[in-house]
Amino acid sequence: MKDSILEIESLESGYGDVQILWDVNLSAKKSRLTTVIGSNGSGKTTLMRAIVGVLPAWKGRIIFEGQDITKLPAYKRAELGLVMIPEGRLLFPEMTVYENLEMGAYTRRARGDIKKNMEYVFSLFPRLKERLDQKAGTMSGGEQQMVAIGRGLMASPKLLIFDEPSLGLAPKLVIEVFETIEKLKKQGVSMLLVEQNVHLSLAISDYAYVMAEGKMVMQGTGKELSEKDEVRKAYLGV
Amino acid sequence: MEAWIGAILSGILLGLVYGLAAMGLNLIWGVINVINLSHGAFIALGMFSAYFLFHFAGLNPFIAVALVLIIGLIIGMGAYFVALHRVLDAPELSTLLSTYSLSLIIIGLGTFIFTTNPRAIDIGLGSIGVAGIYIPISKILTGLFSVLFTVILYLFLYKTWTGKAIRAVSMNKSAAEFMGVNSIFILSLSFGIGIALAMIAGCLIAAIFPFTILSGSVYELKSFVICVLGGLGSPLGALIGGLILGLLENVFALKIPVGYIPFIEFMILVIILLVKPTGLITKR
Ligand SMILES: Nc1ncnc2c1ncn2[C@@H]1O[C@H](COP(=O)(O)OP(=O)(O)OP(=O)(O)O)[C@@H](O)[C@H]1O
Ligand SMILES: [Mg+2]
Repeated sequence: MKDSILEIESLESGYGDVQILWDVNLSAKKSRLTTVIGSNGSGKTTLMRAIVGVLPAWKGRIIFEGQDITKLPAYKRAELGLVMIPEGRLLFPEMTVYENLEMGAYTRRARGDIKKNMEYVFSLFPRLKERLDQKAGTMSGGEQQMVAIGRGLMASPKLLIFDEPSLGLAPKLVIEVFETIEKLKKQGVSMLLVEQNVHLSLAISDYAYVMAEGKMVMQGTGKELSEKDEVRKAYLGV
Repeated sequence: MEAWIGAILSGILLGLVYGLAAMGLNLIWGVINVINLSHGAFIALGMFSAYFLFHFAGLNPFIAVALVLIIGLIIGMGAYFVALHRVLDAPELSTLLSTYSLSLIIIGLGTFIFTTNPRAIDIGLGSIGVAGIYIPISKILTGLFSVLFTVILYLFLYKTWTGKAIRAVSMNKSAAEFMGVNSIFILSLSFGIGIALAMIAGCLIAAIFPFTILSGSVYELKSFVICVLGGLGSPLGALIGGLILGLLENVFALKIPVGYIPFIEFMILVIILLVKPTGLITKR
């Protein structure tokens, strides 16, 4: 438990009257890459939204760095260093690239590190540096994904959650995103990754969960899972 | 010739304060997604605040405006929690009814306490005249203060953390939340600022025109026309919309009876909505 950064215990949640998550358990370790895979509509995004607090938990507990955050509002969780790069990017379209990055550093704990983090983001994505004054909404899909990742990194995250960062990107950019994630992993950033790209993500993750119909149905190291028949048939197409 | 120049100058100065009033409506609409039907009532409340601060505290409206700003912020933030917060996720009709009832309460109480007798504030600053064109100094000050508040609003929205958070919430509330923005605070602050803008516009207008507790509705209509003219989203659009309306109104007044002007304004609103529902000046 000491090296764990996030513990989810018997979590249940949903939208309105519709329950989506059923007794979900998950554990993510410090400086490790934990992955959640699962088919469309299995509840991965819902789980991430519950973790960062934009969706309330109905039951169960969410423990972040030993602290029970189940009842904390989203903005206070961000202040603790729980940062999400959401599915569909959710940039601020009428703001410039620079302002979007700046908003990433909105929390008090990140404001002091704006310069340092900005340099770091530019070292990962030199292209952003040339586009600082462009409205984020007018950028290409791939560029928007870079802004979204950059915005997440600006928050000095303790746990960085990626929800389908490669969605809708050309193959070359998908590789680029995975290379970025690997780079972050080497630097010891704790990450929780949701991906459709099962092959690539299992290859780089330390530990992985398989989700189906709002429940965790399998778990193991990336290697173990990629060798399992059920996983190979359902998600790897072999 | 003098009449024309006078009308244009007057139109510009009034247009600036109309623009300021419209910014309040615009901000609430843009950030909270609520059409604030109590806008006019709060303009009237700003007029009466100016009146009482003048008669009982001896403050002229151009000094009192700072106090009115603070009063507006406090009342607006309070009103958000009382009237809006719980109905925000309900269908749109609920927020319309809710702000409309705020308006009814203010106008009802105001009529009971102040009656509908006209009032005026005469601070006796006189006029300045150049080449036969006379403009009251209070009108000039009203225009200048409107520009000042527009600049302050702009700097606030674009240069401060809180202002940027307001813009972020207006674009994507949940994304702003997981950036660490307390969206409930930001929504109430935005309503507070919107109300404060309505009230300071009322305070400034009270320095140049007589008014009753019912006067706000005229300016509410103008604010709607301006929001549609200038498009939603930026203080600058509202200012330009205000200038256009102020100019039209004052130039028309040379040729047609003043009583027709609200009718013309309403026609402009309807025509723009029919022809270009997103507003004439939009960024997208
Ligand atoms: N805002 C919402 N309101 C109601 N139901 C929703 C909402 N968002 C998602 N759902 C439902 O919840 C279920 C899980 O959706 P979720 O987005 O969590 O899936 P996912 O695993 O992220 O899928 P994908 O891989 O396609 O992103 C789906 O049945 C979906 O229709
Ligand atoms: Mg999803």
